[in-house]
Amino acid sequence: MSQITRTWLAFAAVGTALIHLALVVSSPLPVGIVLTLVGLTELVWGVAAMAGTRLLAPRIALAGAVVPIILWSIVLLVAVESSDSAVAEPLRFLPLAIAALLELFAAGVLAVHIRRENSGERAAPVAPSAGKYLLGLFVGAVVVAGLTTPALAATEAGQYAQPHGQHGVVDDGGHNGH
Amino acid sequence: MTKSPNRLLGVVFGAVYLLVGVLGFFFTNGVGLFATEGGLLLGIFEVNPFHNVAHLLIGAALLFAGLANVKAARTTNTIIGAAYLLLGVLGLFILDSALNILALNGADNVLHFASAAVLLAVGLGADKSARTATV
Repeated sequence: MSQITRTWLAFAAVGTALIHLALVVSSPLPVGIVLTLVGLTELVWGVAAMAGTRLLAPRIALAGAVVPIILWSIVLLVAVESSDSAVAEPLRFLPLAIAALLELFAAGVLAVHIRRENSGERAAPVAPSAGKYLLGLFVGAVVVAGLTTPALAATEAGQYAQPHGQHGVVDDGGHNGH
Repeated sequence: MTKSPNRLLGVVFGAVYLLVGVLGFFFTNGVGLFATEGGLLLGIFEVNPFHNVAHLLIGAALLFAGLANVKAARTTNTIIGAAYLLLGVLGLFILDSALNILALNGADNVLHFASAAVLLAVGLGADKSARTATV
């Protein structure tokens, strides 16, 4: 896998991690715990992919990219079937849709990488020139940041500075007369 | 210098941010130093004079480190990348509030996150084999 592709994967992982972590504050405790664990794992994996020379556990990472999408799909289906918006409300659509997009990208890249490894293609990636590397990184960073930033802004954490309209299912008892 | 991604990034980003800092002052006539609403650079990125000064300082740091050597460039890129990541997150919280002393808007946040991503990726991930301070 080229250094540019590996860094794009890292960007996608960190972007998804930030979205998952930003959703913790608006989620019921059990969901918040899951989101925190998932988000921290994605963040660590993403930074390791960025700073290291190889991907950590690509097969597990592939599962890790796909499972949140499946879980979210199940939650949405349950919400639709039960007509109970409280089920899905804390998990806002836009942030998780964008997270799903980033996860799909990561899953696709990881799947291709694993298939190439399985088929025995062991050719060492050619290191790109510094200019090409920087251009590739800049394009990837702008795309991921362009997706992640509005997703973060759409979470309750991102709307913290604005007047509160309503709370979701969460009532942690910590708010005092805001 | 062109062989080191960190030095090349430092010089390019540094020069760009210096230019952005200077250009910003053409869009902030009459805007207070810490005003929460400023002028729109290129019609997209909101800035106030304090924001322009920050761009000048960051640009200068990146440029000088990039011109110096790999180790300086790596360190500076990583530190400023981390600072931009923090600013990106903070920026989400302080939009439309009295704390927005940099007059940030959504486009600024995107740019800061993107800059953070590139600076951190290159600072942490590139030039690993360079052990000498002068390249």
